Amino acid sequence: MELLSSLYEVAWFVFVVAAGIAVLEGYFYYHFKFHDRPWFFWAGLAGFPLLAWLGLGAAGLGKEGLFAWLFATEAVVLLFFRHIVKGRNSLAYLLLAPAFTGLALLLVYPFVFQIYLSFHDLKLTTIMQWKQTGTLPFVGLRQYYDVFTVPPLAEAGFFKLLGRTLWWTFVNVFFHVLGGFALALMLNNDIRFKGVYRTLLVIPWAMPQVVAVLAMRGEFHSQYGFVNIILNKIAAFSPFLASLGVGPVQWLSDHPLTTCMLINVWLGIPFMMVVILGGLQSISSSYYDAADIDGASYFQKLRFITLPLIKPVLMPAVTLGTVWTFNNINVIYLVTGQAGGTEQADILVSALYKAAFTYNRYSYSAAFAIVIFLILFAISVFYLKTFDAAKEAR
Amino acid sequence: MATVKFAGIVKNFKDNQVLKKVDLEIKDHEFVVIVGPSGCGKTTLLRMLAGLEEISGGEIYIDDTLVNHLHPSKRQIAMVFQDYALYPHMTVEENMSFSLRLKNAPKKEIKARVAEAANILQLGKLLHRMPKQLSGGQRQRVAIGRAIVRQPKVFLFDEPLSNLDAKLREEMRVEIAKLYQRLHSTIIYVTHDQVEAMTLAGRIVIMNQGVIQQVGTPIEVYRKPANLFVAGFIGSPTMNFIEGTLRVEKGHVRFSSPSLSLDLPSKLLPADGSHEGREVTLGVRPDDVCAGREAGKNCSQKFDSVLEVSELLGHRENLYLKTGDLRLLATVEAFFNQSPGSKVPVCLNFDNMHVFDRETQARISA
Ligand SMILES: Nc1ncnc2c1ncn2[C@@H]1O[C@H](COP(=O)(O)OP(=O)(O)OP(=O)(O)O)[C@@H](O)[C@H]1O
Ligand SMILES: [Mg+2]
Repeated sequence: MELLSSLYEVAWFVFVVAAGIAVLEGYFYYHFKFHDRPWFFWAGLAGFPLLAWLGLGAAGLGKEGLFAWLFATEAVVLLFFRHIVKGRNSLAYLLLAPAFTGLALLLVYPFVFQIYLSFHDLKLTTIMQWKQTGTLPFVGLRQYYDVFTVPPLAEAGFFKLLGRTLWWTFVNVFFHVLGGFALALMLNNDIRFKGVYRTLLVIPWAMPQVVAVLAMRGEFHSQYGFVNIILNKIAAFSPFLASLGVGPVQWLSDHPLTTCMLINVWLGIPFMMVVILGGLQSISSSYYDAADIDGASYFQKLRFITLPLIKPVLMPAVTLGTVWTFNNINVIYLVTGQAGGTEQADILVSALYKAAFTYNRYSYSAAFAIVIFLILFAISVFYLKTFDAAKEAR
Repeated sequence: MATVKFAGIVKNFKDNQVLKKVDLEIKDHEFVVIVGPSGCGKTTLLRMLAGLEEISGGEIYIDDTLVNHLHPSKRQIAMVFQDYALYPHMTVEENMSFSLRLKNAPKKEIKARVAEAANILQLGKLLHRMPKQLSGGQRQRVAIGRAIVRQPKVFLFDEPLSNLDAKLREEMRVEIAKLYQRLHSTIIYVTHDQVEAMTLAGRIVIMNQGVIQQVGTPIEVYRKPANLFVAGFIGSPTMNFIEGTLRVEKGHVRFSSPSLSLDLPSKLLPADGSHEGREVTLGVRPDDVCAGREAGKNCSQKFDSVLEVSELLGHRENLYLKTGDLRLLATVEAFFNQSPGSKVPVCLNFDNMHVFDRETQARISA
């Protein structure tokens, strides 16, 4: 019975979504079909809000002022069609409409709501007020001020977290590129079983991150993890190395950030390797022939031919990698975020997550997220600018 | 400024033998052009000399030094690639000076040598451009400049003009000829364009399917092609070939084919009993098919043919003639003033006639 009722719920959900899409499509269809007729403006203005109002009321969603909202929305839509679409490319707009509606619901609405939240005060003590009255106290820029002055976590404030995040990002991206480059160079040679190696090397990237990270976390277990077992063996095998301090380490409790970095480096290398390998394969071999005749050594060829020529593929990949790593909550949360976990490895986004869902400071975290967004935006613009400049120079 | 010697060079790509025992000696200061149809192994031979391709068998000497295992940069050669291979991220100047910079040559010397090469090739104004900002001909000159800067013993050119349009190709051909006179170094030049080969070469090497067919001066290979392949490959328009059989008759040899029979003079082919019944191919260049004009004294008997088509080329005219089932191309002075379908008396010039054995493909006439 449990099963049947949950199946029923799923089916109901699918039905509601499909019906919603159908209604939206029909709504747009009539606009596209008649928007250039003079009568449609007034008919639409009267008809659609009324229909929607009746429909929503029948579904029990009616509330005060709803009709005015619907009326205003319809007016905006009609003006949009009359002055912006103007019948040009209306088929293209018609086809794009569902996707745009989806994007608006999934991206624009949450973003606008986030901005709204960040100027108000939603937290555990005000959430009941919000539920009952639908209003929140307006606090202006105070949340933004708090982002920089009130620590999101028990142990670390914004600037410490920012420093840690930059360090985390730099180390990760650096080793991603370095490791990816080394592997790509090796794979770019004429070796046997190349396809097999490439497949094996891509596996960490192709696996679901949750599985990969949790598996690796197990390997860093202080007693049963592969890493410590190896370190134990090495220390037992060579007393000299043991005297230098090689031995088992309490990875998860003493060095959580390092552990996260090791895991994330391992996870991120395949992507860079694939991108760089693509770049290497696109370099014409005649440049290397010419460089051979010109007398370049292996490293000179690497420095003067290979590196400059893969820059066009490397730069976008590094930009993407930087954004992903900066924003990478999976690894840190999965390694350290469970109950009783440490806060020593937290970077901005994971601190943000904890501020919102462990400490329930919703408005504060909305402002926090916007600050992170602006930082990332600046980084991306900077990267793309330098990339464009590099492209100009050729 | 060096001699080059290939001794029994063999190249295999897996099971595919693309060079079969190539022997060739190139003298100091010589301009040697290697020609042959696409895929005959010209590039491979050149790349082996440059050290870019493994040598499967045989030996290569530069100035009597065995270079089989010498690194490309140590062989004192410079190569101009078919696709130029200019480093796309370096300016013209950086491209040209790359080899010297790698060697950490003094700045002053680099500058002087680049300036000299730029001067020879009129690249002075382009030194700070990127390869992308150059025309095809300019890129070609930069590629040559990059070779000159290295002051190599041997220049290797791999179809350097094949990516240029016809007019530019002509200009660059002259440039290269001038350059040769100026530099006086050994040049090995690969092409499949026989006009380039004829005009530039001191000696031509004609290759086919990994085998050298003939080595000689342009005049030699034109006048005395060693076999059917060379005869068909060198010369434009292509030589006329007539297949037939030889009969030895009192004192001379008679060539007979279904549409045409000729008594060959003994100067061309001595009346030797061994020719009896031999299957041969007769070769006559279009220039030596005398149509409608006064035949020279060394011409064959006249025979009649029908004019099918005539093409006016300007000062010359191509006549497509038909005698029985045999089609002949004749090149004559313009204007031939006969309409298609009319009868044209024709004779063949014995002075420039070639007889090839059809079985061995080799030339048997004098
Ligand atoms: N790397 C290679 N692997 C296998 N076969 C090759 C390789 N390079 C060349 N070949 C083969 O060797 C033969 C000779 O090639 P090569 O490039 O020397 O011809 P080419 O005379 O320069 O022709 P073209 O006038 O078209 O440049 C060709 O049949 C080609 O298919
Ligand atoms: Mg070639």
